[in-house]
Amino acid sequence: MAKWMTGTLLAAMLLAASLLSGGAVGAATATEQADPLQSPMWGYTRQIFLGQMPWQFDARVKVSAPPFAEDPTQVPITVDASALGGEIDKVIAWADLNPIQHIFTWFPGDKVKPRVSLRIKVQQATPVRAAVLTRDGVWHVGGVQLEAAGGGCTAPSTGNADPYWESHLGEIASRRFGSEQNSRYRFKVIHPMDTGLVNNIPEFFLEQLELRDSAGAALVKMQLYPPVSENPVFTFDLSNSTGQHQLWLRDNSGNEFEQTL
Amino acid sequence: MLSYKSRAWTVLMAGLMASLVSLSAQAQAFDYQLAPQQIAPDTWVLQGKMQDFSRRNGGNIVNTGFVVTEQGVVVFDTGPSHRYGKALRTAIAKITDQPIVHVLNSHHHPDHFLGNQAFADTTIWALPGTGQKIAQQGGAFADNMYRLVGDWMRDTDVQLPHKPLEMETLALGSHRFRFYSMTGHSGADLLMLDETTGVLFASDMVFYQRALTTPHTPGLDVWQQDMARIDEIPYRQLVPGHGPIVQDRAATAQMRDYLAWLDTTFKNAAEQGLSMTELMATPLPERFATVRLSRAEFARSVVHLYPRYEDAAF
Repeated sequence: MAKWMTGTLLAAMLLAASLLSGGAVGAATATEQADPLQSPMWGYTRQIFLGQMPWQFDARVKVSAPPFAEDPTQVPITVDASALGGEIDKVIAWADLNPIQHIFTWFPGDKVKPRVSLRIKVQQATPVRAAVLTRDGVWHVGGVQLEAAGGGCTAPSTGNADPYWESHLGEIASRRFGSEQNSRYRFKVIHPMDTGLVNNIPEFFLEQLELRDSAGAALVKMQLYPPVSENPVFTFDLSNSTGQHQLWLRDNSGNEFEQTL
Repeated sequence: MLSYKSRAWTVLMAGLMASLVSLSAQAQAFDYQLAPQQIAPDTWVLQGKMQDFSRRNGGNIVNTGFVVTEQGVVVFDTGPSHRYGKALRTAIAKITDQPIVHVLNSHHHPDHFLGNQAFADTTIWALPGTGQKIAQQGGAFADNMYRLVGDWMRDTDVQLPHKPLEMETLALGSHRFRFYSMTGHSGADLLMLDETTGVLFASDMVFYQRALTTPHTPGLDVWQQDMARIDEIPYRQLVPGHGPIVQDRAATAQMRDYLAWLDTTFKNAAEQGLSMTELMATPLPERFATVRLSRAEFARSVVHLYPRYEDAAF
């Protein structure tokens, strides 16, 4: 009798479980696209970063990263939304499974291509996403799965062991490539970019970045967060912006760094 | 009701059988099945798979070797785990009754020294720089290996080399060994030439048909200079750290070709202002595309080395 009960109970539970899961899948496909990266954090990060606005997964938003984070403190990524064809308000990048998810928010402007390369920290294998808000009020979401051994956000910066940065903080090395009309800027800024997640090392990171033209107008405006790597290297592509440019940065301690490129 | 019960019973039994089968399969899987291959008089090599570390291969991606003399056995590298070290020792015992007297660690990478525990009763030698690097980084390497290959690593711990190798030659029985100290691959790389047989154990200074790795190279220029030195060594056979054994200069030619290409490619990319992800997408020339893991190792090398080229171009 007891055995029979167990069997029935088991069958009932299995049936209930299958109904439940079937029901859930049905509901999800009916109302929204399933996350192609199957992240447990997608529902949460979507709410945090996109709120209640309309959104869609869009292959035109390309996030490039190596398949494996060889150095979890320096993972190269490129976010490229050029396939959307302009009319972009802002771009938000984040890593779902980082303790600090937000990487940057970027307002590209009309004289810069919607493509940026930089290096980031990851704490474990994670989806890396970019959401692009077009002027029609829709978020276009792209992303890539990055494998990692882990530890990028809770490792002390190398600057912590080497006082080099103290006497070189905010130093900028830069170079302009390509033609005057279609030029690319690459620059590196000396900064420890401490996350605040390491014992007794407070967060200390570059918070704002602007690339300005000779008239002082901002071509690139970017808000940065601690997952951006130490001594960050950025790559931006300008279109139809000639003449001298200036780079301006400010960190969360209020230090400002400025250089004519 | 009865049929229901018997079905449940069948399912239970099938599950049990399946787990028993998988248990015995795993027990078999932890056997590295090392098969020493004789490549010259008194000289054996155990060639690893041309793969990356995995739970399938247990970390056996490395070439180790040993030479049997009348006064004992010399072992060159101990493999990726305690299990491997023990298996290597068992394989040697099947070939000779001679005791193992000298063991060499070519450099501080985990697949070359984590078998040391099985040789703790012998004398383990390594270049002074290698001993320091194992002391500093060995534990982290071992942890990472547990993550990569799992239970194959059971009971593996860091056994430091016993003595810093400072001698240039060693005579043992009828064999005379000459040691070369280089830095190109890891910062401290030991090569051993058996002058008696002409076999050069080239360690990871030479990879062949398996892409080279660059996490600790002091620079591609340094490695290229070392390659010129290796080509002057009068060897008749070369045992690379990874990949097949060669009787000619094919392995070093491939190394020099790839190192030069890598250096030029990084320099050009930095001059053109490529980002890391763009550089990683660069197509590899046909002659390297057939080298195992060339795509993956190229991407790793970009992370290891490209920042230096970027700095030079700014």
